[in-house]
Amino acid sequence: MNLLGPFCQTLQDGSFVRLACEIAPRLLQGTATTFQLTVFAMVLGLGVGLLLALGRIYGNKPIYGLSTAYVQFVRGTPVLVQLFLIYYGLPAFEIRLDPFLAAIIGLGLNSAAYQAEYFRGAIQAIGRGQMLAARAVGMTNLQAIGYVILPQALRIVIPPWSNELIYTLKYSSVAYIITTPELMYTGQIIASSPRGPGAFRYFEVFLIVAVIYLVCVLVISKLLDLVEQRVKIPGLEMR
Amino acid sequence: MRSRVRWFVAVGLLALVVGMIGGVPQAQTQAFKVCSDIAWPPFEWVDARGQFVGFDLDVMRIVALLKGYRIDIQNLAFDSIIPAVVAGQCDIGASGFTITEERKRVVDFSDPYWESNQAVLVHAASGLNIITAFKAGQIIGAQRGTTGADWVEQNVIKQGINVTLRLYETYPLAEQDLINRRIHAVVEDEPAAKVAVKTSRGALKIAGMINTEELFGFLVRKGDPNRLLPRINDGMKEMKRKGIWNNLIEAYFGVDVNLDRVAQCYADLKGWLDRNQPEAYAENLAACMSGQTYRRP
Repeated sequence: MNLLGPFCQTLQDGSFVRLACEIAPRLLQGTATTFQLTVFAMVLGLGVGLLLALGRIYGNKPIYGLSTAYVQFVRGTPVLVQLFLIYYGLPAFEIRLDPFLAAIIGLGLNSAAYQAEYFRGAIQAIGRGQMLAARAVGMTNLQAIGYVILPQALRIVIPPWSNELIYTLKYSSVAYIITTPELMYTGQIIASSPRGPGAFRYFEVFLIVAVIYLVCVLVISKLLDLVEQRVKIPGLEMR
Repeated sequence: MRSRVRWFVAVGLLALVVGMIGGVPQAQTQAFKVCSDIAWPPFEWVDARGQFVGFDLDVMRIVALLKGYRIDIQNLAFDSIIPAVVAGQCDIGASGFTITEERKRVVDFSDPYWESNQAVLVHAASGLNIITAFKAGQIIGAQRGTTGADWVEQNVIKQGINVTLRLYETYPLAEQDLINRRIHAVVEDEPAAKVAVKTSRGALKIAGMINTEELFGFLVRKGDPNRLLPRINDGMKEMKRKGIWNNLIEAYFGVDVNLDRVAQCYADLKGWLDRNQPEAYAENLAACMSGQTYRRP
């Protein structure tokens, strides 16, 4: 299973590098799950968050009320509690999500509330006059939002959205509690398996886990910086 | 000026002396940190009033009384107790730890105080038996870092049977997932499995036992720097001699015992421990837990 196996054997027994070498394949597998979790959760959060933001800005009373209540509820409760509600609570209603799906839905719906606030801020940063102007040239409300407001707002939202992506990546570690096999879960299993190379070596195992999270976050920040540069329209930067 | 300096020195010396007098009694009764994953009845759990109760914890409290030291009980995730003991953040690990060769490499154990086997818990309506519970494709639950988890790893997965092992933070979470029918079986020690069956109100049953013949021990840092093991071993012997041990077993494992009573019983009876009368405590706890009349201190 571990292609590095023979190479790891050549490293000094019990050393940190030997441990890192031996547990790297399993940790990287966990990292892949962490990435999938983060991406799916962010996409779900993007869709729901955008709808919530539009609901809070342009919605009629009931829609405004519902989206506001949603944002307040989600932002006002810990993500761990939300995961427990979804994973251990929903089976009472005969809904049994597997750990991975439950984590995506939990983290995604959580992120949606935060993303909604970022989108709302960005949309409201576009001058009100633009909406009026768009309506004046004959666009419908939806057309104005889709062709005039969002193209600008989505650019403005990139920096706070990058933050949200990084938070989601790191918060995805709480999914270990509902047995989603992501990076944190993998690290804990490695450190608590009495026969494995990481047995009881919590500090070293979690140091490696920390470094992996750090590298992921740095890479993502860099990528989103590039995206921001790429889609930039001169003169429209947030000042 | 000079007199002022002298005044300061005098006050300083006085403070030092008072401090030393104040400090002496504390130096006499050492306090040790006992770490336990307090989510595993009947060995240790948090009762309805938020008190830390259970067999392991009472043994720790009473041994401390008999041997003249104080303990401070801390609630920790099971798999982090051994690392905490290794790092010196906990002095004693008391959480139904099976004595294993792997653990003995990093910590030292007391004399064994309990023998246990692993039980296979299944949903009562599932129709699974101890063989079908482990057939390929099944999902088996256990708590991280336990011998139950290790047993599945060694005797099912390593034997080439393609089951999924899901590892939970605590056994109650694994049991909850079994009740929710998201997993097919949970492997855990017999006494705790029996409690789970009782509290699940008919949702769970024990499909069968695996005779692992495990021995539980209390654990301390390698080399026992605080010389705790002789005191624990001696204390346990003294408990047995004085009949305390049997009463505790009666209290937590007896046939008529209702563990829900513990909140009331412990609150009413812990005063016996404060009065340094562990015999009276254990005797009345056994009576109280099985619903008989008991004497408060």
